[in-house]
Amino acid sequence: MATITIKINGQEQEVEQGMTVLQACEQAGVEVPRFCYHERLSVAGNCRMCLVEVKPGPPKPAASCALPVAPNQEIFTESEMVVKARKGVMEFLLINHPLDCPICDQGGECDLQDQAMAFGRDGSRYTENKRAVKDKYMGPLINTIMTRCIHCTRCVRFVAEVAGAEEIGLLNRGENAEISSLEQAVDSELSANVIDLCPVGALTSKPYQYNARPWELKKTESVDVMDAVGSNIRVDARGNEVLRILPRLNEDVNEEWISDKTRYACDGLRRQRLDKPYIRGMDGKLKPASWQDAMAAVAKAANGLKGEQIAALTGDQACVESVYSLKKLMDLMGSPNLDCRQDGAKLDAGVRAGYIFNTTIAGIEQADALLIVGANIRWEAPIINARIRKRWLTGALQVATIGEQIKTTYDSDYLGAGPETLSAVADGSHPFAEILKSAENPMIIVGQGALTRKDGAAVLAAAKKIADISGMIKEDWNGFNVLHTAASRVGALDVGFVPGDKGADRDGILAGAATGAIKLVYLLGTDEMDLAPLKDSGAFVVYHGHHGDKGAHVADVIFPGAAYTEKNATYVNTEGRVQLARRATFPPGEAKDDWAIIRALSETLGKPLPWISFDELRMAMRGAHPHLARIDDAEPASWADFGTPGAMDAAAFTTPIENFYMTDPISRASETMAECTQTFVLDRNGKGTGTHG
Amino acid sequence: MADLFEGIWWSGYVWPTLITVLLILCIMIPVMLSVAYLTLAERKVIGWMQLRKGPNVVGPFGLLQPIADALKLLMKETIIPAGANPVLFLIAPMLTFVLALIAWAVIPFDEGMVLADINVGVLYLFAISSLGVYGIIIAGWASNSKYAFLGALRSAAQMVSYEVSIGFVIVTVLICVGSLNLSDIVRSQAGGGFWNWYFLPLLPMFVVFIISALAETNRAPFDLPEAEAELVSGYNVEYSAMAFALFFLGEYANMILMSGMTVVLFLGGWLPPVDAQPFTWVPGPIWFALKIAFVLFIFLWVRATFPRYRYDQLMRLGWKVFLPLSLFWVVATAGFLVAFDLLPTGTN
Amino acid sequence: MASLDRTARSFLLTELLSGMALTLKMMFSPKHTINYPYEKGPLSPRFRGEHALRRYPNGEERCIACKLCEAVCPAQAITIEAEPRADGSRRTTRYDIDMTKCIYCGYCQEACPVDAIVEGPNYEFATETREELFYNKDKLLANGERWESEIAANLELDAPYR
Repeated sequence: MATITIKINGQEQEVEQGMTVLQACEQAGVEVPRFCYHERLSVAGNCRMCLVEVKPGPPKPAASCALPVAPNQEIFTESEMVVKARKGVMEFLLINHPLDCPICDQGGECDLQDQAMAFGRDGSRYTENKRAVKDKYMGPLINTIMTRCIHCTRCVRFVAEVAGAEEIGLLNRGENAEISSLEQAVDSELSANVIDLCPVGALTSKPYQYNARPWELKKTESVDVMDAVGSNIRVDARGNEVLRILPRLNEDVNEEWISDKTRYACDGLRRQRLDKPYIRGMDGKLKPASWQDAMAAVAKAANGLKGEQIAALTGDQACVESVYSLKKLMDLMGSPNLDCRQDGAKLDAGVRAGYIFNTTIAGIEQADALLIVGANIRWEAPIINARIRKRWLTGALQVATIGEQIKTTYDSDYLGAGPETLSAVADGSHPFAEILKSAENPMIIVGQGALTRKDGAAVLAAAKKIADISGMIKEDWNGFNVLHTAASRVGALDVGFVPGDKGADRDGILAGAATGAIKLVYLLGTDEMDLAPLKDSGAFVVYHGHHGDKGAHVADVIFPGAAYTEKNATYVNTEGRVQLARRATFPPGEAKDDWAIIRALSETLGKPLPWISFDELRMAMRGAHPHLARIDDAEPASWADFGTPGAMDAAAFTTPIENFYMTDPISRASETMAECTQTFVLDRNGKGTGTHG
Repeated sequence: MADLFEGIWWSGYVWPTLITVLLILCIMIPVMLSVAYLTLAERKVIGWMQLRKGPNVVGPFGLLQPIADALKLLMKETIIPAGANPVLFLIAPMLTFVLALIAWAVIPFDEGMVLADINVGVLYLFAISSLGVYGIIIAGWASNSKYAFLGALRSAAQMVSYEVSIGFVIVTVLICVGSLNLSDIVRSQAGGGFWNWYFLPLLPMFVVFIISALAETNRAPFDLPEAEAELVSGYNVEYSAMAFALFFLGEYANMILMSGMTVVLFLGGWLPPVDAQPFTWVPGPIWFALKIAFVLFIFLWVRATFPRYRYDQLMRLGWKVFLPLSLFWVVATAGFLVAFDLLPTGTN
Repeated sequence: MASLDRTARSFLLTELLSGMALTLKMMFSPKHTINYPYEKGPLSPRFRGEHALRRYPNGEERCIACKLCEAVCPAQAITIEAEPRADGSRRTTRYDIDMTKCIYCGYCQEACPVDAIVEGPNYEFATETREELFYNKDKLLANGERWESEIAANLELDAPYR
């Protein structure tokens, strides 16, 4: 794009044509205060805080957020006129803003507070009555104190543009203007982002209400594990308690949004925790035990067992380090019975391109045709859904879905419910196949709903065939994507936590336990599958995890481990992007780091793992899998053959997530998520409003 | 009573012993009481000078304060540190206390009112006060504590240094008197009231003696051995209860003793300040006590006025100022006496 | 001449004697001691003694859990936890002051926007155990009730200067 030269505060600056004056100032490193303007939302131009003086132009200040740059423009951001104009605007904004900073949760991180200090007058000349506005109900997550609102409409634009759920609006005009959701809970998986966007304290977090001040919190940069997107987050903790989770900017993954589950499931970290080891007694009840006794009990159960009699399953939130440690331990024990796919997805660990989101999330912005197979993206990965909507808003993306009919946040063609339609697209007989073929950058997203079936391998093969025939695999483009729902899955597949030679997979392990062929099962946070068969079988079950959930109920011995905010760990998201989670708090009670538990168990079993520190473990892991050392990098995978072509069952694809707000032990333990479930899932379904999905 | 024991061979030993013990008690008890009230006086005088009232709660005007303090110390537990040498640790305070008391044997309270009127009284006093340093060194060493040890070293060095100049000051007086008997020293100042006392002709030596006496008794501004800021409390830091009380008593008894020596050497002992009625009506011991009280008041007054010396300043003063000055004054006095043929005959 | 003057001064001990003259003079001037438990000295309205949490005249506690006192406390003696009260207002669930840490600087009362935490005129709060000096919200509110009239009078006296 052509560049032009302008002058900002007397300094010449090369800027792109079409930029706004505000963007040009930002590029030049000149600060312009603003409230309504946000770089990811449309321009509203209603707060007037960004006024600057522009020459040539009318002899009055201009709103820089809405003014395009022009050649030979001269911009002044610190002139007398601008300073006076800002003071005036600030005085008007504060006329109706209450002076209640001491009881406002935004206090200490408030744009209005900061900018009033930096650009405002020191007093008010307003002596009339202030306006008061009734607080609105916006659901269990968003707390409103509407008198504080300055009508920047960021929240309105966010829900309309990014979230794609037009739930918040501005009623009336002038002094009577009010933000409202018409007393409805804001029904969007991204709704709580309006709290971050709100430049004042009008919209604040309800679960975090009055809990803490920003200066009390210890901030830790980490990643989220509630879904497989790996949203970048900042964990704010006070003492040994995670109080809130905020998004962290990462243009490649979550931009600056996070889903409500990511943000609010953190109160589940305080409830239902396993904080000491347990052993199941003779009476069938779990009893607290010491680490030594718990380890010894496992060693006793493993004594004399052959490798084939031992099995291990990993769960959805296990970090790569612990999965790798467990795999090495099982190797030392001689056990081939491993599986990381507790949902039974028929994924091939051998071909990386066959199980990751090859296009990458940022890559969606180049796509122009998209086929979604068996995935409710809005619930499985709200952030990816927002990215698709962002692309769709440009008008360049055509979307079609196969699977359950769901309410998407963009227009999509509903092609069919099951494999029948998929085969039709695969053999070119469906009209959408033509659209995919003619598209420049077509992509397909295969969800877990399509892969966790008995015929999952055939579905995978059909999807691969679509990718092949539609020209999705090109030099600089790979349109084949698998959408995961578990944060641990890609990492576990990367380190090969799948059945070894003659090893049993998930179903094989359950069957083996039932027949008595498998006598010891190690569950590493495995809570999302039906574990009842294990309980009924005679197998000795070790559960290693952080919450007293399904896995703990069937266990004979429980090892209390660390949740994702309590350990330094590696996670690989659905794109294959390697990211680091960092410790924000310590595990509760006697719970320990996961890697340390497995290391100690290996010692007790007499098969010590060859590392004694976390750094040594990481070095060994990165030595064996070099791509795990490339942090924040999504390594492109080479295309190869995967899947097993074959007959597909006629049954329709179902979505793997029944309730967005409760998908893992942490969110199931969370009070906030329970309230959301009540509000958005149970009540809605009860009333039959049809917003399910 | 004497009849009762007549004819018993050992009665010749018993009576003198009993009488001596009685006399010793007659000296010791007033000295101990003086010590007790000296502590009260110290707190009162310093309080007044600092615009305070001093102790005034225990008894009328706080007069029972020393008794209360003594009772408190008696009730407390004597703590012997685990690392200390217990025998020496307990011997040290006894030594200090005993030495402070036995010096009183040669101090004349009035004409003939002296326990042991020996001709080498000054030498005896000098010997006893020199021994005092042992109590302190033993205490510092036996405590096995760095503060106590450093305090003891300082104290010993200081006492040794100032004893030298004190010695020369006494020599100056002795060559004026011509006798080592303390009663003789007082007698030689008799006749003519305070004009005849040695503090006037030997004024510089009097000043040197007073200042050296402050240093010798570890009093402010020379109280470095117990400099709280650095050494907590010096050589007696590890002591508690009665052991501490013995040190305390010993120190204050020494103060009174040094005042007594000052009075005997320079202020005419028991003599009245004006050799005329009605001053001569007042008995000698009263004058002696009043004079001692005056010198003690100077001790307290100095403490309330001056800040503590630095250690090198203290040593410089002792060795580089007082020693040459007193040496010079010995020579000057002796020269003056010889030149004008005023040397005492030494027969009185 | 100056050196002669100086030498004379040091040999005649004039400085020492003038110092002693001063202390002797002081010995006879009136004393400042007051008979403490029976007599007490005057206190400034700004005196910073024992802390108290105040209430409004209608009985509502003033503290709104803004945590500014906790933030400003240089000794980190204040610990506050807060959550919405049943009526939705912002209140503390815990307000602790460790009086053994407190340095009585008065920043907390300076920082308080609602005059809730104040350092009252009481300085006679010695205790037998350390634990008694770990004040909690109940103790502080009780202090507020006990000292309210004095505290209110002091605040009014000091108001023109704040």
